[in-house]
Amino acid sequence: MAAKKSTLKNAFPIILLTIVVTVCVSLLTYVDRLTRERISAQEDEAVKTLLSEMFPEMSRYEFKDEIYTIYSDGDRLGYAFLAIGKGYGGDINILVGLSDETTVKGITIVSQTETPGLGTRIAEPSFTDQFAGLDISEVALSRDGGRIDAITSSTISSSAVVEAVSKTAMEKIKQLKGNE
Amino acid sequence: MSELVAIFLGMVLINNFILVRFLGLCPFFGVSKQLGSAISMGVAVTFVMAIASLATWLIRNYILIPLDIEYMHIVIFILVIATLVQIIELFIKKTNLGLYFSFGIYLPLITTNCAVLGITLINATQDYSLSSSIVAALGGGLGFTLVLAIMSGIREKLELANTPKSMKGLPIAFIIAALLGLAFVGFSGII
Amino acid sequence: MGKFAKEFAKGLILSNPVFVLALGLCPTLAISTSIDNALGMTLAVLIVLLGSNIIIAAIRNYVPNITRIPIFIVIIATLVTVVNLIFHAYLPATYEALGIFLPLVVVNCIILGRAEAFASKNPVIHSIADALGITVGFMLALLMISFIRQVLGTGGLSVFGHDLFSLPVLRDHPIAIFILPYGAFLVIGLLMGLFRRTGVMKSE
Repeated sequence: MAAKKSTLKNAFPIILLTIVVTVCVSLLTYVDRLTRERISAQEDEAVKTLLSEMFPEMSRYEFKDEIYTIYSDGDRLGYAFLAIGKGYGGDINILVGLSDETTVKGITIVSQTETPGLGTRIAEPSFTDQFAGLDISEVALSRDGGRIDAITSSTISSSAVVEAVSKTAMEKIKQLKGNE
Repeated sequence: MSELVAIFLGMVLINNFILVRFLGLCPFFGVSKQLGSAISMGVAVTFVMAIASLATWLIRNYILIPLDIEYMHIVIFILVIATLVQIIELFIKKTNLGLYFSFGIYLPLITTNCAVLGITLINATQDYSLSSSIVAALGGGLGFTLVLAIMSGIREKLELANTPKSMKGLPIAFIIAALLGLAFVGFSGII
Repeated sequence: MGKFAKEFAKGLILSNPVFVLALGLCPTLAISTSIDNALGMTLAVLIVLLGSNIIIAAIRNYVPNITRIPIFIVIIATLVTVVNLIFHAYLPATYEALGIFLPLVVVNCIILGRAEAFASKNPVIHSIADALGITVGFMLALLMISFIRQVLGTGGLSVFGHDLFSLPVLRDHPIAIFILPYGAFLVIGLLMGLFRRTGVMKSE
């Protein structure tokens, strides 16, 4: 009887730990179930908003192999995809829209952590509007023979965007042509 | 390869863990008064960061994601780190008692060092490959050690300087950290 | 009731987590770029600190010494994960703004520190007071720093999308230092020095 009592006492720390862990894991699983749907719905909403801002006539889109194909009812409006630029302060996430396989519809800076007041200006229309309507071959800084003017004192941020857009666009177009 | 170099340099200089990311501040202001202990601390933290990155990468990619329980990552990561630090503590105690005592309470405190959990979270959010994760950890740790070492050298000199009473200790340390951060901004153009 | 008020008040100035105890520095410096962020972080810390103090104080007499730290860690990590998921689902803007520092609340020295130093040795009711006091102290410190950084660094103040005010000259030419990382160190160092100089907090 005494031996049984002391084994219980020795085992108690482990028992308590196991109880605590079980309660916690159950709680987490419950909260995860509760929030999972809402979180992915939000992410879908966010994507939809971004895409429809870029393609105002969009009625639906399809996502395959990392490329969004945008439709307005039956007609294909264009494509979109994410490009990631290596900026000054980290990754710059860019949504690139193509109206067809050679023309850029526009770009939207989705997220960036560049220097406030300088590099962050890549998100302003004065910079991003420059991409609208360009032929892919023209996507380069003016100093490199292209049509994009860099933002003063933010050449790194500007060229990160330009490089990412141009390089990823060419990759994606190759991918699209390969699928046809 | 160039991506690994970019990650490494980014972690050490451009997005330095202490000066830019604000990770690992507690030991930064607590330990750094002597160059020797600053470097020991830095090396210990770097080591833990690297091993923790390896362990958490394996767990995340081979257990958490396949079983669709990624939401458990915070709990699992911190438990892994705590266990790791315990093991390292026992190891140091057995092999180099002097080192164990010189670390004192700061050794178990590595568990709560934002830099260690921080790097595992960064690796997860950026979805780094195994090699990138470890390189990032080594870079982060090196950057941490670098700034700790610089800071301790400065603070050693500061002990002899005539600091106004209200600024003595933490306040002036913060101001110096600000100046260091400003100086490090100069590295931003490297990559 | 007197003890409750006393424990609460301690967290505000005497044991202010940021300016006196120098705990939880990592999120304080990183998050203090705007009032919105400061409030978001405070909410997260409030939930976790209150929760962990209550639970740990409640089970404090049953927890054997050996498993103390692992149990505390599991409880705190669970609370943080819950907050992380809830924020992600219901407060997405705050979740994005806090970024990596939301999960990092797990290793926020404030939480584990209070669990060890207070909740494991004091009854639930006092632990609640402690949690509330420390959180308010934390919030005041965060708001102070964020206010300075946001006003000087962006030229105005806007909370939850409502522009409260803009300072004419600063709006066009904000002093970028304050919003950049090293500005955080600058502001907190100066504030600490100021508090010590004026006797609000003690010098070394």
